[in-house]
Amino acid sequence: MVAATELDVRTRALWLDMYRRMVRIRNFEESAYELYTRGKLPGFMHLSVGQEATAVGVCCALREDDYITTTHRGHGDIIAKGVQVELAIAELFGKATGICRAKGGSLHIADLRKNILGANGIVAAGIPISAGAAFSIKYRHTDQVAVAFFGDGALPSGPTHESMNIAALWRLPLLFVRQDNRYAESTPQRDYQGIPDVIAWAESYGMPARTVDGNNVLEVYEATEKAVARARKGEGPSFIESVTYRWYGHNIGDPGTWRPAEEVEAWKAKDPIPRFKKVILERGVANEADLGVIESEEKEKLRKAIEAAEAAPKPELGSALEDVYIDPVLGSRAIQGERQ
Amino acid sequence: MSGREIMYRDAIRDAQREEMLRDPNVFVIGEDVRDPWRGTYKATAGLSSEFGDQRVVNTPIAEETVIGIALGAALTGLRPVAELMYIDFVTRAMDAVCLQVAKIHYMTGGQAKVPLVIRTQGGGGLASGAHHGNSLEAWICHVPGLFVAMPSTPYDAKGLLKTAIRMDDPVFFIEHKMLYTTKQVIPDEEYIVPFGLADIKRQGQDVTIVANSRMVLLALEAALALEKEGISAEVIDPRTLVPLDDETILDSVRRTNRLVVVNEGVERCGWAAELAALVQKRAFSDLDAPVERVCSRNVVLPFQPDLERYVLPSVPDIVRAAKVSLGKA
Repeated sequence: MVAATELDVRTRALWLDMYRRMVRIRNFEESAYELYTRGKLPGFMHLSVGQEATAVGVCCALREDDYITTTHRGHGDIIAKGVQVELAIAELFGKATGICRAKGGSLHIADLRKNILGANGIVAAGIPISAGAAFSIKYRHTDQVAVAFFGDGALPSGPTHESMNIAALWRLPLLFVRQDNRYAESTPQRDYQGIPDVIAWAESYGMPARTVDGNNVLEVYEATEKAVARARKGEGPSFIESVTYRWYGHNIGDPGTWRPAEEVEAWKAKDPIPRFKKVILERGVANEADLGVIESEEKEKLRKAIEAAEAAPKPELGSALEDVYIDPVLGSRAIQGERQ
Repeated sequence: MSGREIMYRDAIRDAQREEMLRDPNVFVIGEDVRDPWRGTYKATAGLSSEFGDQRVVNTPIAEETVIGIALGAALTGLRPVAELMYIDFVTRAMDAVCLQVAKIHYMTGGQAKVPLVIRTQGGGGLASGAHHGNSLEAWICHVPGLFVAMPSTPYDAKGLLKTAIRMDDPVFFIEHKMLYTTKQVIPDEEYIVPFGLADIKRQGQDVTIVANSRMVLLALEAALALEKEGISAEVIDPRTLVPLDDETILDSVRRTNRLVVVNEGVERCGWAAELAALVQKRAFSDLDAPVERVCSRNVVLPFQPDLERYVLPSVPDIVRAAKVSLGKA
């Protein structure tokens, strides 16, 4: 192990940034749970508590101009990629100030300014969109990369395989990140996956694939860095199998009690945040007080964001008729109907 | 104004070519679109030879992913023209077309821009059977977020496709397999045809016939037959189904007081039903007879040519419907 003093300034800043983002995600998700169960947030919601290291390890290895698509369980990924929590929480509240003007919600949250091409309500549907962004990168001759986050349950889906084939065939700068939280909704992998060896599956398409401890942010980061470097050099796609766990059930409302209690507890013992904290302290990157400042800053920031979102106005009903089309004249004609 | 006679498929090709010359971000993607195959109906002939493989992209047979890729490219600064070889194959891409392409601008509160054209072709007439001969425009019109064009002539095909490629909204552009070799003299000079503007293909006083795609040709034939019986039919081609030029249709109905709607899709819940509902609501007192629909019968499209003709709308069907509308049947 490298001594703390040998860690360069950039690495120290990066680690603290990673810690901050993981804490931000955890706070966001726990608050979303609490607000949802109090009836404050409408709709469907899927939480990523426990998976923070995967989201942050990947996104911290990206540049701001790189693209991501994510899933129905996407809060963590978009926060890691840099969405403003004020705009994200307002969207969950269904307020006019939400990042998608309260038309997307948790399942469809996106931030095009951050090159977040969206969460997605349909399993595996974001993967081809990321492949399209990667195609576009190649077409435009930039050195950006695109990342497709997907859950383990998306692996057997058609678009996943079609996209893996095309990405390898066209050597697209695309990173497949399988957030393996062990269950497709409630179905365990042994019941939906023909062969247990995911790496063999991915490699068969002609791309490097690697399994990482998805609760170890540094391991995820390091694997992503390698894959990203390869993509930027024009060497094509990679596949990362990041093994992690969701603490909550499939969605809020599913208590997740159908899983063995000891399994849940074993994974909670591998909580990625205290694990990373321990490394930071051991390596002398920061002390308890420094991390305490980050934690309280994040807590306060989220508290204010929630307060602002609660106080924000609901959208005007007329806004439901906006944003169907960009063309104002043809668009307004296209949405005409009999109902007044 | 000088002009030359070209085929519908060349009009489609020329529109793509001109727009590719005009904007380097325009590219073509689909199955078998490169030379020497030139697209299954030869509507991308010469493009890969002229612009190279980077801008004319052959894909694996994977419609859902191909449309998803076109969407991702559109979201990130390109203007794809994606070819779905048969409209029937949209069944393989319904998520991409209807849930992703159509909705992402809305779901993101207006952040996402999707300048994407999905070109495809439909319709019967080649005994292509139940997996290659359907007319599914009603499915697509049912999805908010897409514009839908259905040209019947080479002139309209070229002008509408050029407009579609320049639009910032997604367009579902439906050609017809029986129209690709039809010919028309079109101008040498550049032109475009705007969306939402119907074309009166034939003027008349006694009955309005609204038809789209290949059905326009059948309606014009029917109008000739009706003329011999002293009936003057007006034939209107809306050219785009979304948005629809309802005013041109309503103006005509207010003059003729009778309406026949011809659409190749199956009758039940079809586009003709939608237009009939619109006209009865907005021109009820102008109608002297119920709106007549001439559509495909509510069955699976059969393969055998006689059976296929029996199921598809025909010229005599249109003539009969017009006469029923006039109380002369």
